Amino acid sequence: MSRPRQPEVGHFDADTIRRGALACLPLLPSTIIFGAVLGVLAAQRGLSLGELLFMSLAVFAGSAQFVSVDLWRETIPAATIIIATAVINMRYVLIGASLRPVFRGRPLWVKVVGMHMVADENWAVSMTQPTLANPGFLLGGGMFLGVVWATGNTVGYLLGGGIPDPEVYALDFAFTAVFAALTIGMWKGKVDLLPWIAAAIGSIIGHFVLPGTWSVLLGAAAGVITAALTWRPDMDDTSPETEIAVDGTTVYGAPEGRFGTDTGK
Amino acid sequence: MTQFPDLTSFSLESVLTILGMAAVTYGMRLGGLLMADRLPQHGRWAHVLERLPGAVLISVWVPSALSAGTIGIAGAAATVITMAVARNLFAAMAVGMTLVTICRYTFN
Repeated sequence: MSRPRQPEVGHFDADTIRRGALACLPLLPSTIIFGAVLGVLAAQRGLSLGELLFMSLAVFAGSAQFVSVDLWRETIPAATIIIATAVINMRYVLIGASLRPVFRGRPLWVKVVGMHMVADENWAVSMTQPTLANPGFLLGGGMFLGVVWATGNTVGYLLGGGIPDPEVYALDFAFTAVFAALTIGMWKGKVDLLPWIAAAIGSIIGHFVLPGTWSVLLGAAAGVITAALTWRPDMDDTSPETEIAVDGTTVYGAPEGRFGTDTGK
Repeated sequence: MTQFPDLTSFSLESVLTILGMAAVTYGMRLGGLLMADRLPQHGRWAHVLERLPGAVLISVWVPSALSAGTIGIAGAAATVITMAVARNLFAAMAVGMTLVTICRYTFN
């Protein structure tokens, strides 16, 4: 009975991929604008459009790409860029670890295929799905964001400027907003309270005393250590099924079908 | 100034640098998952792993709300409250972003 449950839905079911893509629709405007800003920057730094698109689809990590393109020169400082990328993207170790329930009981090749197109946004949207979270849903969101991101890159690269300032319509705030909102969907009960407070305090301290994105790691570490210290054996009702879905009837986050055809406008 | 944009040239240095970036990023994504697969499914580690997504998510947005100043903090608070009440991602984002837009327009 304690065996991991067999996945009921296929690994990369077409319908699930489509729903995963739709769930990331609210991120379209900000992703395309930031993609365009990166395109403008890349043109100034001397990357070709082909190189930029290759980077966007091979690396697929916005903040690391911004820093890397900013560091790009005629003689490419390859080691600096790769180390900066590794530091900024270190949170993906944690994000990957937290995806365990999504890939539970699935073969290695599904993990190998499914873990590439994992950005913060489609990860957060997938993690707050009460019932749908599966590799296809995650991949659908990733493919959608990848196409939008690359489209934005191309537009920005070709226009070489004249992109609307993201700050004007608070599009720079869209990423903060989506992560703040999805936090609500991750609430599983009072056991989350202390780790979350610790994570907030840790990330705020990190923000003021550490450079770059180290605040993410410090906050996550504070949360994890607090969770480890506050664990008691009587909390241990973590059957594999409950690891992701508290109760299948409550709909959090961005449920499929919630966004009508009017959302793109 | 108005050169035709460089569309298709691929220098070896660029491709190798990008491949290096891709390798470290993908390695951490897959490596994190495979490491977690080796952790116990029950007990303290499972409990810690369950708290991980929330802790990461909070650590991503709290500093960025702070760096957006008072307006950013107000916008994040409005987003969280709307989400808690309406349970709708689109509505929550719309409220937060509208508030930030209006505040920036008014105060800047």
